[in-house]
Amino acid sequence: MSRSTATTFLVLSLAGCVAGVAGCQGNRSEEPPVHLIQNMDFQSRYDAQEENPFFQPVDCANALNHDCKGRAARAPVPGTVAVGFLKDDDELHRGRGADGRLFDRLPSSIPLTPALLDRGQQRYNIYCQPCHDESGGGKGIATLRGGGFKVQPANLQDPRLRAMPLAYFYDVIVNGKGTMLSYAAQIPVKDRWAIAAWVRTLQAARTPSEGK
Amino acid sequence: MPAIFPRWTNKIPLAIGVLAPLALAGAVGGIWYYFSPKFTDAGYRPRQPVPFSHKLHAGDMGMDCRYCHNTVERAAHAAIPPAQTCMNCHSLVKTESPKLKLVRDSYTTDEPIPWVRVHQLPDYAFFDHRPHLAAGVGCSSCHGRIDQMTIVEMDQPLSMGWCLDCHRDPEPSLRPRDQITNMLWDPAVDGKNYDAAKDPSRTRQVNPPEHCSGCHR
Repeated sequence: MSRSTATTFLVLSLAGCVAGVAGCQGNRSEEPPVHLIQNMDFQSRYDAQEENPFFQPVDCANALNHDCKGRAARAPVPGTVAVGFLKDDDELHRGRGADGRLFDRLPSSIPLTPALLDRGQQRYNIYCQPCHDESGGGKGIATLRGGGFKVQPANLQDPRLRAMPLAYFYDVIVNGKGTMLSYAAQIPVKDRWAIAAWVRTLQAARTPSEGK
Repeated sequence: MPAIFPRWTNKIPLAIGVLAPLALAGAVGGIWYYFSPKFTDAGYRPRQPVPFSHKLHAGDMGMDCRYCHNTVERAAHAAIPPAQTCMNCHSLVKTESPKLKLVRDSYTTDEPIPWVRVHQLPDYAFFDHRPHLAAGVGCSSCHGRIDQMTIVEMDQPLSMGWCLDCHRDPEPSLRPRDQITNMLWDPAVDGKNYDAAKDPSRTRQVNPPEHCSGCHR
């Protein structure tokens, strides 16, 4: 082996060692990314859902504002409402008319448009379809797996539910019903009404004699 | 008088001339390859406290990404769901599963589940999900095929160069805006028949910022 061959061999094997130890780009690793230069990568402020070690020792049973076990997020102080978040419109936020009963129409601030129904269909397929299935039959994919639901989701085509006023579906989204938990945190107000309108559309579509 | 330097030293300039460029090239190449976020960040796959499988929920069951990450269209941050979102179904199915114990405990005690963050941008980069979804950038464009991941991993480097690749030429990454969460929409196949400029549902042209303050404040 001449000297130049030996040198080439040495250089190549060195490079091979480095690559072997360090691995290739995109290799899977459970170790957090190492940033050699951390210029202000981590600044002393909290982003959404980040951890604040200051609240780490706080026990959640005694926490006032959700601020326990290292949560950086604060809940509003109990008994306070942020400006613009007071749900004071009974019609829009609770679906109840002057007589305090659920009404069978959309609130006056939400006109019935094709766009609303499109939105309702889209949102229904995101949030309701996993359990109630795409046509409202209550046989969604989530109920068919993992041993099935202990209590079947409601069949929205049921005569009992067909007779319900439109705002009933809004009310169930907000407050839940039976084993169904509230979806108020997941679905904003206008989308809830859009979904209620879409549920009514599904029901009307399955009604042979009186199409809407 | 013997020579001060032995004869082999004559080769030193030649050796330096050959080895120094090699070493320099090696150093440059090593830094280029190993200091890149493509190496340091992509492929990060932490073990999570609850073995939640996106492959099962988003892939096999076909649930929409927004069922859980419901803030993604309205806020900068695509929120990790609260335990209640899990309990929507898991109060009725797999209610005794030991894998879900942390979720049930979190639901009853309000203690957060210590999820490990996978995608972490530097604090000086202000990424906002909203405009990206409004422009019709699909989830899978940046997060990869989440529907095939049992354990979520970082698919893309999320480096500044990678951001700018798309900001300078967004067209190939755009899709119809009702397909953003569709993991099966393939830019290489479906993208061939889609031209964002001719999409009637788009009210304005996509014009991603390339100036500093677009992302850094």
